[in-house]
Formats: sequence, C-alpha cells, structure tokens
Amino acid sequence: MRQLIAKRLIQTIPLLFFVSVVCFALIKMAPGDPVMSFVTPNMHKEDIERVRANLGLDKPAHVQYWLWLKELLKGNLGYSLVNHQPVAKLILERLPATAGLMGCAILLAVILAIPLGLIAGAFHNKWVDRIITFMSYIGISVPVFWLAILLIYLFAVKLDWLPSMGMRTIGVNSAADVIQHGILPVSVLAFSFLSSYVRYVRSSTIGQLREDYVQIQYAYGSIRRVVLFRHVLKHVLLPIITLLGMSLADLVTGAIVTETVFSWPGIGSLGVTAIRGMDYPIIMGITLFSALLLIIGNLLADVLYGYADPRIHTMR
Amino acid sequence: MAKRFSVILIFALLALAIAACSGKNGENNGAGGGNAAGSTNESASSEAGSSGEIKVGGSLIFGVGADPLELNPIYAGDRVSLTINQALFAPLFQVNNGEKTFYLAESLTPSEDGRTYTLKLKDGLTWHDGQPLTADDVVFTFDAILDEKQNSMFRSNLILGGEPIRAVKVDDRTVEFRLPQVNPAFEATLVQLTPIPKHIFENVANIEQSEKNLYDVVGSGPFKFKEYKPGEYLTLERFDGYALGKPNLDSITYRIAKDSNAALLALQNGELNVYYVNPQDVPTIEATGKFEILPYSEGRLAYLLFNENSANGLLAKKEIRQAISYALSREEMIQTVYSSGEYAEPAKSFVTPDGLFWTNDVATYDNDVEKAKELLAAAGTSNPKLTFIISSGNKAMEAAALYVQQKLKAVGITVEIQSLDASAFGQKFADASATDFDLAYSGYIMGYDPDAYRILYESDGDANYTHYNNPKVDELFDQGAREPDPEKRGAVYQELQEIIAEDAVIYPVAYTKTIVAVDKRFGGIEEAVLKPVVIFEDPSKLYLK
Repeated sequence: MRQLIAKRLIQTIPLLFFVSVVCFALIKMAPGDPVMSFVTPNMHKEDIERVRANLGLDKPAHVQYWLWLKELLKGNLGYSLVNHQPVAKLILERLPATAGLMGCAILLAVILAIPLGLIAGAFHNKWVDRIITFMSYIGISVPVFWLAILLIYLFAVKLDWLPSMGMRTIGVNSAADVIQHGILPVSVLAFSFLSSYVRYVRSSTIGQLREDYVQIQYAYGSIRRVVLFRHVLKHVLLPIITLLGMSLADLVTGAIVTETVFSWPGIGSLGVTAIRGMDYPIIMGITLFSALLLIIGNLLADVLYGYADPRIHTMR
Repeated sequence: MAKRFSVILIFALLALAIAACSGKNGENNGAGGGNAAGSTNESASSEAGSSGEIKVGGSLIFGVGADPLELNPIYAGDRVSLTINQALFAPLFQVNNGEKTFYLAESLTPSEDGRTYTLKLKDGLTWHDGQPLTADDVVFTFDAILDEKQNSMFRSNLILGGEPIRAVKVDDRTVEFRLPQVNPAFEATLVQLTPIPKHIFENVANIEQSEKNLYDVVGSGPFKFKEYKPGEYLTLERFDGYALGKPNLDSITYRIAKDSNAALLALQNGELNVYYVNPQDVPTIEATGKFEILPYSEGRLAYLLFNENSANGLLAKKEIRQAISYALSREEMIQTVYSSGEYAEPAKSFVTPDGLFWTNDVATYDNDVEKAKELLAAAGTSNPKLTFIISSGNKAMEAAALYVQQKLKAVGITVEIQSLDASAFGQKFADASATDFDLAYSGYIMGYDPDAYRILYESDGDANYTHYNNPKVDELFDQGAREPDPEKRGAVYQELQEIIAEDAVIYPVAYTKTIVAVDKRFGGIEEAVLKPVVIFEDPSKLYLK
C-alpha cells in the first residue's frame, strides 16, 4: 500500500507538468487576446502595445510558458492579466464558497441516492422503481441553468421564501444567512448529482441481489430491510467510493453554471470570466489545482477501495 | 394491478407538472417583495415626509455584470470600475451639452494663445481619510499617467505631437497645464482626469498591482469605500465631506449579478434597485409597476462597417458602398434590431448627437432599391459575395446580419454570415490585416469632442477598422485639432461629416439609447444626471422617497 502511494505521488509531478503544457498550448492557440478584453476604441495603439509588452504578451509562446513555469517553481502562481491581483489569492478566497457548495450538494446527493437506489434495485421493475428511474431521467436531462431559473422564480419571486442571488445578504455576516442563500443552489446541484448516483446504486444493487450471500440471508429468515441495509449496502458502496474520489476535483470546478446563475462567488465563475478574457494565469492556476485534486482524489479512492474490499489487491 | 397503478401515477405527475407551469404564466406581478436586502430602513419610515423635503438615508443597490477590475481612475477602463468610480472619486469637472459642471475644480481658464490652461481647485477639499486634496494630488496624478513604468492606458492622451503636456503646481489650489501645441480637445481630456491621492501612492513602485486599487480605496467622491466581497458585492457609505455637499443616501451597494436572467428576477424581487434592461425585457419590468423605465442617450452610434481591406476588393469601391446603403432601409433596420424606434434614433452622421458640432444634415444613401441595382450594374460586378461576421450570442448583431442578408439578396448580392466566439470576433474585427470579412455590425462611444473620432477615420488611425484612406479627411482632422476658434472649428467638422457621409465610409444606423430600470422608491434622478456608461454622473443627488 505504501509503495502504491509513493509511486502515485512521484507520478504526479510529470503529470501536472504535462497538463500545464497542454493547457497553455490550448490557450495560446485559441483565438482571442487578453488585452482586447479591457481595450476600447478610444485607446491609442501605443498604449495598447505598451500594456501588452508590460504583461509579457508580445513574447513568443514558449518564452511566456517558461517565465510562468519559473515563477511557479518559486511558489508564485502569477498575477491576473486583467486586474493584477495574485492568482493564488483569487483562487483561495473563492475556494470555500465553491467547496462548501459542492461539498454539501455531493453529500446530500449521496445520502439520498443510497436508500433510493437500494429501494429501486430491490423493487426492480415495480412501480417504486419506475418512479425513481423516471425522476432520475428527468434529473439527468434537465439543464441545470433552466432548473435554477425556475426555482429562483418559484421560491424567490413568487413565494418569497428564499433570496434569489448571492451568498449573503448585503452587510450581513452570519452563517445562517449563508445557509439560507445556499439552499437553492445546493438543491439544484444535488438534484442533478442525485440522478446519476441513483442509477449507479440501483444497477449495483440489482447485481448484488443475485449473489449467493443474499439468498443465504433470506434462507436464514432475514427480512428485506436488513438484507438491503446491512449486507448489500456495503458492496454497493464500492462504486460510490470511486465516484466520490473522482469528484474531489469537482469541488473546485463542478458548479460553473450554477455559480453563474446564482451569482455565487466561487471558482467556477472566476474560471469562466478568465476564459472569456483569455486571462491565462488564472486559467492555468485553476487547471493545475483541479488536476492536482483529481490525482489525489483518485489515489484516495484506490486506497479506500483497497481497505473496503480485501479482494482487491492493490498493486505491489 | 401494478401496471394500472403506474399509469395513473404517471398521469398524475404530468398533470401536476402542467398545472405548475400554467400557474407560473398566469400572474406577472411579483409577490409582496418585502425581501429587499439592504433597504430595511425604509419599511419603518414610510412616506411620512412632506413632498419637497428630501429625506436623508436609505440604501441603493445597483446590479453590475462583473467584478470591478481596478478602482483606480488612472487604470479603470471597464464599465463596472467606471460606474463605481463615479461614486468613489470626484472629477475635476464634467461637461453636458456644452455646459460645464464643476466638481473638485472651481474654474478652468485657457490662456490667450491656447497653450496654457489654468485650473483652480475649490477650497477645503479633502480625501475620504481626511487628508487635504490639493494641487499636489493633481500634478501627481498627471505624472503617474505619463510615467511609462506605471502603465496607464491614458498616457497617449497626454502626449501631443510627440511631446508630453506638463502639469505645474502654482500654489496649493492652482495647477497650470502647459501644452506643446494648441489643442482645444484638451478640455475633454481633463474631463477624464480624476485625481488620485498622492499620499497613498507616492511611494508605491507599481501602482497597478497595489491592493489599494480594490480594497480600502481612498477617493474624493460622495461615497467612501466600506467593504468589498469579491464575486458578491461592493458597498460604499456616505462621505460627509464631499465637495458638492453631503449626499442623501446612507450607502450604495454594487451587487455582482453575472447572469442577466437571474438579475432580472432579482430586480423584480427587490434585491436590486437599478439595472440595465434590454428593449425586449421592458414590458416584463414595466408590468410590475415598481420601476421607472429610463431610456437615455448613450452617446453611441451603431453602424454597419465596410471593410475596405477585404480581399475581394468590392467594398473599396465607393459605388458599391453606396449601392449597399441604398439597398437598406434605416427605419426598417432600426425596427428589426431594436424592436422600437423609441430606443434608437436614426443616424446619418458618424458623430453622435451629444458631440460638439454634430449635424444629421448630411448626404445619406437610404432605401432606394432601384438606385442600388443601377449602381451595382454600373460597377460591373457579377455575383458579388460578401462575408458578414458576428459575435455569437449578440442578439443585435444577429438581427442586423439577417436583415442585411435579406435586403442585399434582393439586389443580387449574396451575404454569408459567419458567427464567431466573442474573443475571436473581437480579435478579427480589430485586426488591421484581416482581409477575409466585409461587413460587421458594431458601435462606438467616443465622447463629446469630435477630435476623438480621428482615431477611427484617419488613414493611420489606430482604430481605423474600415481602412478608409482619404488625405483630405486626414488634413481636416489635423486642422480641427489645432483650431482654437469655435466657429472655424465647427466649419471643419461640418465638412468632415459631409465628406464621410458622402463617401459612405460606414452605414450609420442609429444613435442607440441605454435603458435603465430604477426602483420608483428612489428620486433625484434628474439632478443626478443620467450619463452613458456610468448611469449617474453625481450619485450624491439620489435619495429615497
């Protein structure tokens, strides 16, 4: 096990380097010019060229990459081209907002998906299963922004139960206020995650219920509920663990559309603005960060999997 | 049994869904809306005050589309930063319809020969932190803009004929600006020169990267910085020492609302008080009965661009440009693109109505299909094909492109519409060497001094997107920039407008209006002066009714 972890961690460095090169190349190949995003026809060419030179954008691409890499190795993620704030600070100050939002959504989705999936699997093809499957199809197909606007209209404008945008009421600094603002975005996200998780759990359950150990439990006289929730559950958790491991990176980038619609101050909306403005230091920062989390998440998933299921022999 | 049950259940769910949907469309009027964040003061103190007396207090919430980039006036170029700066910083003076309103300055006197301008500041001015605002700050700001290391976008505005303008302190309240050559447009440059505090920035090596550009900003405007939560909102509170007198409102908040649909809902819900609306959204907002819909001139011209550099050489010919203009109907196009003549006035001149020496009384080629066909036949082109680039998602451009395509088809010109992503569009539009597109629908806001337009129409102008080349026009722009006598100057720009219209350099479509929805509970809008880009020129005049 320890060897696996060590091996993975060593592989991380070249992997991240590769990701950074590909990402940078893509940004540079895409049409669009960061300077254009804050230039108006009133500005003289000399000023535009001077600003471009000061930002280092007149140098060839590989030189720009090398300069960026040098700074990175010193621990500096660079400065935004557009508002000159340090990238590390920009990402870290928004991380709690996104991580909180996604964390709650994923947790809620998992907590609801497990029983729903188990029941759907157990009552396979009965009407309970049909309803759950139908709802999950809707959840997968419905576009997130549409659902978000619909909920805002219903709960904020018509019923006036919840605020329609932002993470806080202006000037208020309480946790309760943040939670109130978070209800709608978390619900929207949880609904779409829930729908796919349910399907995983359901198919896993159907598979497990055919196994011998289940038959033996019934032979011993266990009732369905015990069989499901005490025995089958453990086996069904395995695909969930893999899913959750891979979702670690989603904690950073998974809520882009939702954040934009709800004006939730997270990394997703920071990333979208950066991409539109071709602000490459921010794009690189976010990409590296989420790549790192993805690698760590996968590693965690593999390790947990090894503990959860002794049949899996992790690589020696 | 189970099957029948499932069928019934499915129908029940569908029925529920349909009922929910129709219920939504039935009513338009928002619910009680007592959820107005931040405006909690006014529910207690309702209309007790007699009319004519302006109440002090209350909070106003603007909806803005993005985070501000830099709240330092020597860098601010994006709409959000400029809007917030209008409340955070006071300018020296502003000009509306030729009339000056003085803010920090008391007077501006040009010398006889037009080469020196003397600016006198008002007495007793202070910054938000209590430090006095003096001529030192003005000179410091000037020098910071000129300093190449500080990277200000406005530097070239302070350089005339290769020589920088010099700012010299005469005494604590007086500054003299010494110009290397006569330039009546200098006044317009000074309008944009907002002083920054010397005592904050004087020892900062790189002003651009300073945190003071986004947090704890020290300004001289009616409202001072209170707090900024990135991605969420920025709040300012009243500054009692403001040059034009104590503002009425307690605070102004700029709420960041990235999605326009969600923002419109927030507007209806009372979580925003001021927001830009599109013509298509006006009916919905008006129906709530809670908002004043205020269209006002943006000083903007929307026009059809003819790229004379295009590879097929078609648009380089004046007759073809004229033919295209004849094929189009300005009135029809305005209706198609803006859905109502209320929000766009027909434009014939490249100058906007708020500009000095503007006249719409120039040659125009409009709405004469027969003439168009004649001109095309005379030019001898066969099967002409033009490429029209648009930025995907931009409704106005799409509508304009489709309209032009249809109208030009009727005279035998095929138009291919190419939709590009916003950054790609921006790049191609501004690319001086692009030869693969002919038409584009664009717009510009250049300010009130016509000298600003030279950058667009001079042969070597930095923003000459049409690549128009006319030595006479270059000469006239040069003349106009130096001519101190307003009458003679007026004649120069009159001639320029006539020539450019005659040459059909562009097809001017409309002087568009911006539409802003303002919550009816707020007054003082006229005194605050509606202004392009920043919405209100002087937010201190706004009050809660």
